[in-house]
Amino acid sequence: MALISVYPVLWVIAIAFSPGESLSSPTLAFGIIPVPSTFTLVHFSSILSLTVGNGSNFPLWVRNSALITVSSVLGSVALTLPAGYAFSRRKFRGQQASMFSFLLPTMFPGVVTIIPQFLLFSTLHLVNTFFAVIIPYMVGSLSLSIFIMKSAFDSIPREIDEAAMIDGAGELRIFTRMLLPLTLPSIATVSLWAFMGSWLDWALAHVMLQDNSLWTLPLALYAFLQSNYSYYGSFSAMALVMAVPVFIVFIVFQKYLVTGLTAGSVKG
Amino acid sequence: MSQRGKRRSVFGRIRGSPYLFILPALVGLVFMVLYPFAFNIFITFTNMNIYHVRPCADIFAQATTGNSCYTINTDLFKNFVFVLTDPAFVQIMENSVIWTFSNVIPTVGLGLVLAFVLNSKVRGKTIYRLFMIVPWAMPSFITLLVWKGMYNYQYGIINALLSEIHIPSINWLESSNCFNPFLAIVIANIWLGYPFMMIIFSGALQSIPQELYEAASIDGATGITQMRHVTIPLIRPTIIVALLLGSIWTFNNFNSAYLITGGGPGICTTIFITQAYNQAFSYFSFAIAGTYAVIAFIILFVPGIFWTRYTGLTRSAA
Repeated sequence: MALISVYPVLWVIAIAFSPGESLSSPTLAFGIIPVPSTFTLVHFSSILSLTVGNGSNFPLWVRNSALITVSSVLGSVALTLPAGYAFSRRKFRGQQASMFSFLLPTMFPGVVTIIPQFLLFSTLHLVNTFFAVIIPYMVGSLSLSIFIMKSAFDSIPREIDEAAMIDGAGELRIFTRMLLPLTLPSIATVSLWAFMGSWLDWALAHVMLQDNSLWTLPLALYAFLQSNYSYYGSFSAMALVMAVPVFIVFIVFQKYLVTGLTAGSVKG
Repeated sequence: MSQRGKRRSVFGRIRGSPYLFILPALVGLVFMVLYPFAFNIFITFTNMNIYHVRPCADIFAQATTGNSCYTINTDLFKNFVFVLTDPAFVQIMENSVIWTFSNVIPTVGLGLVLAFVLNSKVRGKTIYRLFMIVPWAMPSFITLLVWKGMYNYQYGIINALLSEIHIPSINWLESSNCFNPFLAIVIANIWLGYPFMMIIFSGALQSIPQELYEAASIDGATGITQMRHVTIPLIRPTIIVALLLGSIWTFNNFNSAYLITGGGPGICTTIFITQAYNQAFSYFSFAIAGTYAVIAFIILFVPGIFWTRYTGLTRSAA
């Protein structure tokens, strides 16, 4: 099972490091496992020198992707923390209704919201700016994030707040000094969701960012595939460059993931 | 409430209004989700498409040929009638249902079995676990394109492997019957989906207190009895959540259902979400796309409500 899991990925790696641009460039070890026929970095250097339009190039797209992703993750966490806190610690009118409305996006096919979003952003003259993707990405992960944070705050006994309050701590102080450190695993999970949502998105970015100097990595990858239909070597190299950060983040956050996600899914 | 009020007066401390805390998130939700949602419902009653993009000054006017604005259909439910009486609708509906079940049941089953295996004392389970989250950690639109290559009739590795064991090559993606392409995308999506389930169930298994097993062994319960009376009851809530949430996500899974086959051949592998996408971005019939989306929402609303109720997600603590 572990082999089946990594098998398609082995192909990507083998193609990326083999010379030639075809799917059958790698040789098969034991008749099944793809390995580079001869090890080469030629595809990596060729994608680095790739240029489109007036000097838009690979480093620029990496920078765009990084900028958009970091802003979306920070923004998403900034929206999620106070909302999750309020839903966990307070009772107020309209709480049920607003919590339910945050769940609506889960039940609605995401691709069709792109059209109204596009019309909205074009009225605001924000199409072809990073805002047009950062704002939807920030909101896109909320429906899960808010509930992960709410159950994280729920799991911290209220007595802690009350004790601190009697000791004279204000609400902001309790929040930053007591609650935030205790919910770090869940904040990690929430950040990871937001990270995946923006780093890997193609559909929304494709509509909003039409200027090639604004492209993100998935858009560049797609455009590359469109214009060089069978350049699988360079394509695989680009795919690896995109996948490596995701994989690193996953390995780093692996132990938090289980905690954060089950906090939201176990009844309690 | 009164107790809190008293505390505020005693200590003179300011408590921020809960509305202030949820306001930023709520504003985002209203503009990015609720407005598009409402807009989608609205356009299902219009003739909006690539030729009719802006609303007409007189939105209730009879649609006339030649203008570039859209109006509300005289027959309000025209688009719904069009979609529901489309001969393709029945097959798309069937496809969506089969797609959902044929993915969710194996991914949950496989995830559960692997979580059990990795929760027992197997050597090297950390490395296995790391390998098995690879499908989840890789960008899915890349791995799906790799699957597409592996399914290739002539050059694909899957047919090459089949011929090693003397099974004739299978025409996975361009077969005239719908079974092969459908099976192909289901296999690829199960591969993508089971790591998530495995992680969820591992977490649930690890959260069962060890004392319960010890107590059960003292009472003389062995393997299977322990499983039946301790493990299964305690992870049942997680299984139900995984089934419900998995169904909603699979039903809405665009990448897996689109990137390998593009919904084809014909409409063999077309489900609601790919149909909505094609209507919007291939045929630019935005009103029809919106109609498909609204129908999909109506279908998903039921499991969605069950999920919310069952997990008590919107219940406030204490």
